[in-house]
Amino acid sequence: MIEDKNGQKVLAWDFPTRAFKWTLVLLVVSAWASNKFGASMPGWHKWTGYAILVLVVFRILWGFVGGSTARFVNFAAGPGAALSYGLALLQGRSPKYLGHNPLGGAMVLALIVMLGAQAVLGLYAGDEDRLIIDGPLARTVGDSAVAFAARWHHRVFDLLKILIALHILANLYYAFVKREPLIKGMATGYKPAATYVDQAQAQAGSPMAALACLIAALVIVFGGVLALGGRF
Amino acid sequence: MMKKMLLAAAVVAMASSAIAAGDPIADRKDIFKGWGDATKPNAGALKGEAPFDLAKAQAALKAYSDGVKKLPALFPDTSKTGGKTEALPSIWENKAKFEGIFAKLDKDATAALAAIKDEASFKAEFPKVLGNCKACHDDFREKK
Repeated sequence: MIEDKNGQKVLAWDFPTRAFKWTLVLLVVSAWASNKFGASMPGWHKWTGYAILVLVVFRILWGFVGGSTARFVNFAAGPGAALSYGLALLQGRSPKYLGHNPLGGAMVLALIVMLGAQAVLGLYAGDEDRLIIDGPLARTVGDSAVAFAARWHHRVFDLLKILIALHILANLYYAFVKREPLIKGMATGYKPAATYVDQAQAQAGSPMAALACLIAALVIVFGGVLALGGRF
Repeated sequence: MMKKMLLAAAVVAMASSAIAAGDPIADRKDIFKGWGDATKPNAGALKGEAPFDLAKAQAALKAYSDGVKKLPALFPDTSKTGGKTEALPSIWENKAKFEGIFAKLDKDATAALAAIKDEASFKAEFPKVLGNCKACHDDFREKK
């Protein structure tokens, strides 16, 4: 239920933030599927990785200039705040947040950082003979660096699976146990009007700013790889 | 009597073939090493870092088909360890799947040999063959 008893709803997530989020979900699935089923199509996995890196860079930039609930200053909480929110959650007296709550914010930051790390590792990773698949920057480093990147590309994926599972479980918990429509909110952008402790309603980011962040992210990722001597 | 002689002949034949096969770990590593060397110029051509060379593509595909016919016999139960093998124990736990990849590689390499005529068909068909390398390494080769 998006609307409260009086049918009031408020903006929680602007369009660029939601578009980022759900595109990233599809790309993460594509990254997994291309490894699992795309052995004969190395390009599928590689271009998925570039796209994920572009989105991660976009989200970092958007975290400074985007909509109010997307900005890091409005949701990046210290471990103390995350811990006390977690304790309040367990006791069933957690305050409601329009944007990310302190625990959710920590998860979002962890996912962004780890997906970024995973994509960067992929740029340098390759199979040990560099015959089947390798990232565009593998050619700029030695075999031991490629092996290191490949090893950590596997390990970070294992970590990501745990983070993603926790992230999904937490959202299902809010949706079905706490009856807070977080998933629907991220889909539609709106949440029921209520007493939120962080913001009463979100200020949408400017579409032009979003476009500028996307262009900047494309330039940083593709320009950066080329500048470092990579080839696509 | 006839039966016994045949049996003896069979035993001798098996023993001598075992001797001829020598060390299965060294033999299979030779085949994989040969595949790697044959693949190298083609991997470079796929990435645009080396010129496409039809003869080298065909040589690699023939090397895959020739070698893959010998490989299933080079993973006997006695060759699970030693000789710095990178073979994982999962090979002997999933022999059917393992040998299935060899059969598919043989089929794909033969098909690619017939299909590859120029650079465009090389770029379309050769990666399909290499996909078998990844499939096998993912499950059956030790990660460094």
